[in-house]
Amino acid sequence: MSRYRIPGMGRVDPARTVRFTFDGRSYTGLRGDTVASALLAHGVHLMGRSFKYHRPRGPVTAGSEEPNALIGTSRGPGRFEPNTRATVQELREGLVAESQNKWPSLKFDIGAVNDRAYMLFSAGFYYKTFMWPRSFWDRVYEPFIRAAAGLGKSPTEADPDSYASRNLHTDVLVIGGGAAGLQAALVAAKSGARVVLVDENPEMGGSLLSDPSVRIDGQGAWAWLADRVAQLRAAGVTLMTRTTAIGYYHQNFVGLVERVADHLDRPPQGAPRERMWHVRARQVVLAQGALEKPLVFDGNDRPGVMLAGAAQTYLNRYGVKVGDIAAVVTSHDSAWYAAFDLADAGARVAAIADTRDRVRQDLVDAARRRGIEVLAGHTATATSGRLRVRSVRVNPVRDGKVGPGREIACDVLLICGGWTPSLHLFSHTKGSLAWDADNRTFLPDRTTEACQIAGAGRGLWGYGPVLEDGMRAGLAAAEALGRTGTPAGAGVEGDRPGTGVTQKELPTDRSAGKAKAFVDYQNDVTAKDIRLAVREGMRSIEHVKRYTTNGMATDQGKMSNINGLMIAADALAKEPPQVGLTTFRPPYTPTSFGAFVGYHKGATFELTRRTPIDPWAEAQGAAFEPVSLWRRAWYFPRAGEDMHAAVARECRMTRASAGMFDASTLGKIEVAGPDATEFMNRMYTNPWTKLAPGRCRYGLLLGEDGFIRDDGVIGRLAQDLFHVTTTTGGAARVLNMMEDYLQTEWPDLDVWLTSTTEQWATVAVNGPNARKVLAPLVEGQDLSDEAFPHMSVAQCTVAGFPARLFRISFTGELGFEINVPARHGLALWTAIHAAGQPYDICPYGTETMHVLRAEKGYIIVGQDTDGTVTPQDAGLDWAIGKAKKDFVGKRSLQRPDIVAPNRKQLVGLLTEDGTRLQEGAQIVLDPNQTLPMTMAGHVTSSYDSVALGRPIAMAVIAGGHGRMGETVHIPMPNGTVRATITSTNFYDPAGERLKA
Amino acid sequence: MTAQRHDFDAAPFRLEELPWSPRFSLRVRPQNRAALEGALGLTLPARIGERSMTGGTEVLCLGPDEWTVLVPESGRDALVDAGARIYAQTPHSLVEISDREITLRLSGPQALTALTAGCPRDVEALQTGRAARTLFDSATVILWRDGADSFRMDVWRSFLPHVRAILDKVAAELKSGL
Amino acid sequence: MLLIHCPYCDETLPEAEFAYAGEAHIARPADPSALTDEEWRDFLFIRTNARGPHYERWRHIHGCGRFFNACRDTVSDRFLMTYKAGEERPAHATLEAAE
Repeated sequence: MSRYRIPGMGRVDPARTVRFTFDGRSYTGLRGDTVASALLAHGVHLMGRSFKYHRPRGPVTAGSEEPNALIGTSRGPGRFEPNTRATVQELREGLVAESQNKWPSLKFDIGAVNDRAYMLFSAGFYYKTFMWPRSFWDRVYEPFIRAAAGLGKSPTEADPDSYASRNLHTDVLVIGGGAAGLQAALVAAKSGARVVLVDENPEMGGSLLSDPSVRIDGQGAWAWLADRVAQLRAAGVTLMTRTTAIGYYHQNFVGLVERVADHLDRPPQGAPRERMWHVRARQVVLAQGALEKPLVFDGNDRPGVMLAGAAQTYLNRYGVKVGDIAAVVTSHDSAWYAAFDLADAGARVAAIADTRDRVRQDLVDAARRRGIEVLAGHTATATSGRLRVRSVRVNPVRDGKVGPGREIACDVLLICGGWTPSLHLFSHTKGSLAWDADNRTFLPDRTTEACQIAGAGRGLWGYGPVLEDGMRAGLAAAEALGRTGTPAGAGVEGDRPGTGVTQKELPTDRSAGKAKAFVDYQNDVTAKDIRLAVREGMRSIEHVKRYTTNGMATDQGKMSNINGLMIAADALAKEPPQVGLTTFRPPYTPTSFGAFVGYHKGATFELTRRTPIDPWAEAQGAAFEPVSLWRRAWYFPRAGEDMHAAVARECRMTRASAGMFDASTLGKIEVAGPDATEFMNRMYTNPWTKLAPGRCRYGLLLGEDGFIRDDGVIGRLAQDLFHVTTTTGGAARVLNMMEDYLQTEWPDLDVWLTSTTEQWATVAVNGPNARKVLAPLVEGQDLSDEAFPHMSVAQCTVAGFPARLFRISFTGELGFEINVPARHGLALWTAIHAAGQPYDICPYGTETMHVLRAEKGYIIVGQDTDGTVTPQDAGLDWAIGKAKKDFVGKRSLQRPDIVAPNRKQLVGLLTEDGTRLQEGAQIVLDPNQTLPMTMAGHVTSSYDSVALGRPIAMAVIAGGHGRMGETVHIPMPNGTVRATITSTNFYDPAGERLKA
Repeated sequence: MTAQRHDFDAAPFRLEELPWSPRFSLRVRPQNRAALEGALGLTLPARIGERSMTGGTEVLCLGPDEWTVLVPESGRDALVDAGARIYAQTPHSLVEISDREITLRLSGPQALTALTAGCPRDVEALQTGRAARTLFDSATVILWRDGADSFRMDVWRSFLPHVRAILDKVAAELKSGL
Repeated sequence: MLLIHCPYCDETLPEAEFAYAGEAHIARPADPSALTDEEWRDFLFIRTNARGPHYERWRHIHGCGRFFNACRDTVSDRFLMTYKAGEERPAHATLEAAE
């Protein structure tokens, strides 16, 4: 048994020893311990070094608000986590823990020199110290800040754990499983409501776990608790422990993080490490209790200085005596009970110093009975001890004057500055707070949500009032749901009522300027820093916070906000509410990225769409590229080929004989109904009335602003039926835009839109031999140029499958696109591939498609256009139905800035020296102009063209259409390149090959 | 004591991909719904989420003017022909989408739990015999509730691998008992 | 994440099923060619950016697919009401009653 463990006390299991290491040294703890309680059981208080001054620190709390005892934990490769709170991390077999912010060791740390250079690190030191000289920034300040910044070590390996998420809908969500929450949950459940009760601890009970001596309904607190939990289960309440409510959002949407596996010795296969719950509750009950505040005085941060409530928790819940000789400094009754529990468990309590002149007589009597010296009306002015507190100096205060000090020897100093309701979640909802002037604390006031607040979370104290309030909240939640609850009173004996006063920093007889009286332990902010910030002009608490960093650490000011506010308000001679309270934001406690990521890691990182032909491409060793959510075959390298070689070959083979391309990702929309033509006329720039069934046309879609939104070939299958294709990335957007017009502007039109993108698999066959490849597979359609000319569409059979066959081309070669029901897509592909073998047919990917279309000057919407390009700019005036009275975007084509000269227009570029330009490269007209140069445009597409034997590029250039033959200049990494403006139709400008 | 327990059932849910079957998207103005019902010999429920079954053909109302029709293969051509015959009097749109979606069946006591991993809407509140177009993870799906523990989920073909992969992760998680 | 009542489905559902679609009650002019450049500019680009009740459009894109109108308080982020496309903008009295 470890030296400070008290047999028979606590809720840990004495029969089950757990081994772990801390900074390389082996320790044992008991099942049920946290790392902090297990180390304390061995008398280890020193668990870390502070962030700024590297001061030795030990745990001050026993809960999730812990600012000091931050450790790194690990469980093998990739499973290292920094900044874990030792007070929360449950012990598991073989846990490896290490302290942080120290070098070379926790006991002797070089960085502690910062503590001596205290004056350098005062409030706002960032803004002062690193101001000048300017030249110091790069070489001195930034490296220094980078090296010193950050808390803990970042993990360096990928996280092998899995994470999960759930959506949960419930009538009532109760947050906090203490006395109030237990009551609220039971009353609500008994009214018939579905209830979920969550608590961040491994077990329900809240402060009851630390107060076993209280008796409720004639039972000991723990027996009552076990009974209540059993009743909750019987009533169908979902009980979730190790589950933290991290954020409270609109309309009772609450994020919970459940720690599933971190406490387990060996998590079972498949178990997630954490699970995020997205909860929607009709009623929320906040029963989060209150957080104990430290007292602020010189040396209040030494290891061994700890909140009184934490010491009580270590004793009663973990059976750990935090020291042999305790001293207490408090301004609240609660610390007296902690002292009594410690004394009753065999520790010596030297003295209780209370800042109040008068303390309840029953407490004084109870202390004296236990041989504890009572020092009312006292302040604490210093502590001693390097790695562990050795004494505290206390002084009487009479009429505001601090009297002579006196050292009290101790190895643990319990402090208590009162309690502040845990307002964090309530504040997430923008609920307003009210200042309780009597108790000098903020309380929740008006709520914006369907929410009840119960217990210590709204300033109540003692189990009687808290249980009563929990019942009230449960009844109120039931009533709000239209249900009737039954009151369930609970009689409390041996209650521990309490009151206290709220302090600023404690009065001292020493120079306040020398005192290291910590307000924010985690960010090393002292009372002096806050007063300095006020002296230097900060008036609002928001400014004080940012200037001093008070409350900005990962504990979000759980311990420091109110104390900081009290000091700032005093310095400003204002009431605290006039100075304000900083905003609490989610998450309530630090939350792993994994919990937010959930299932979205590895193969399910993002939804990836695959075509029916994708498995073939994968089997062929294709390289893939993402195009919107799709992954598309990019190129099909043969042995020894790099991308450049593969693409060059694919281009050459397609133009020489035949190529085939998976075009299944193209968006497809079926436009059907008596008003289909009218709808098409209104949506697209082109005229559709005279397009005969069986023919197709390139369609251009604008936004109402006149800029190009999408394009694609549209086939008219019948009088009332169009097969519309869109770009791959534009499919959903175009359908949404069409539905918008149809539903809201033209609801009179009898036409309906159906997405058929995934109904059809599409294979494009291109090249001079395309017809020869395809003809043997086609039934029901003559493919000859006379019977089936360029821009035709037919419904027929291809390779035995019902098909929609288009004769169109995106390459400038004779081309066909075959659509078959998607389940036949792969079979169609392999059939064409087999039929194409005599012609050496070449499967090609998106890169070759891009090159071939660029050689013809066909645009890619989103690459050659960017949302500011009109049809005229793109040289697509011919696609506009000039006789049409109206279509989407038509009016904008007459706007002054659209018809203005010198707009950027799409042109071709050929470099003089054969350099391939970079896409996105800027273009200037005169390379000798003064800096900064006027950019005339930029390169939108650039490729090596096998067909032309040189690189080609497309670009948008101001007034480009009027600059044919002019030379422009493009700065590239290796110098400025000269290029000539040309037409974008580089290859077969007469279009002879299409007619083959 | 800090005993570890969880309320999940350790039995995994069953996940099956149902075989291909004809499926249509039917659109018609609400005022022509009754006329079309007669011509097609189907019941077109008027309320979103309601279903009907007529002689093996199942219809789900997805929107005020939108229905999904699941027709046995033997009745496919007759449905298309009936639609073509009535089109002139009762304009509508009947588009085959048999290959657009693939249907998964989820069943077993944890089917509902598995769905709550991906569906933000309250799946438990979806009544047996109804259906809803909704989200599972980042995919639009149609979720049919055939029984307390039995669901169908229609997923667009290319979204299916992702949806299945998520459900596989959920299955592994549920099998762990945690 | 908000809850939104779809007036077509008559269900209150998570925001994830919906897509925002800009300000409501801005009808496309019947004859755009009759508009001056300034009038057309205003139609294209000028929006109210209200502080308080704001009329806007949403689409139940992962549900029934319908566009509908909503009045949402941009300060509290609460939906005061939703109504079908084509219905009149509700009067303030109606909104207050809804609130």
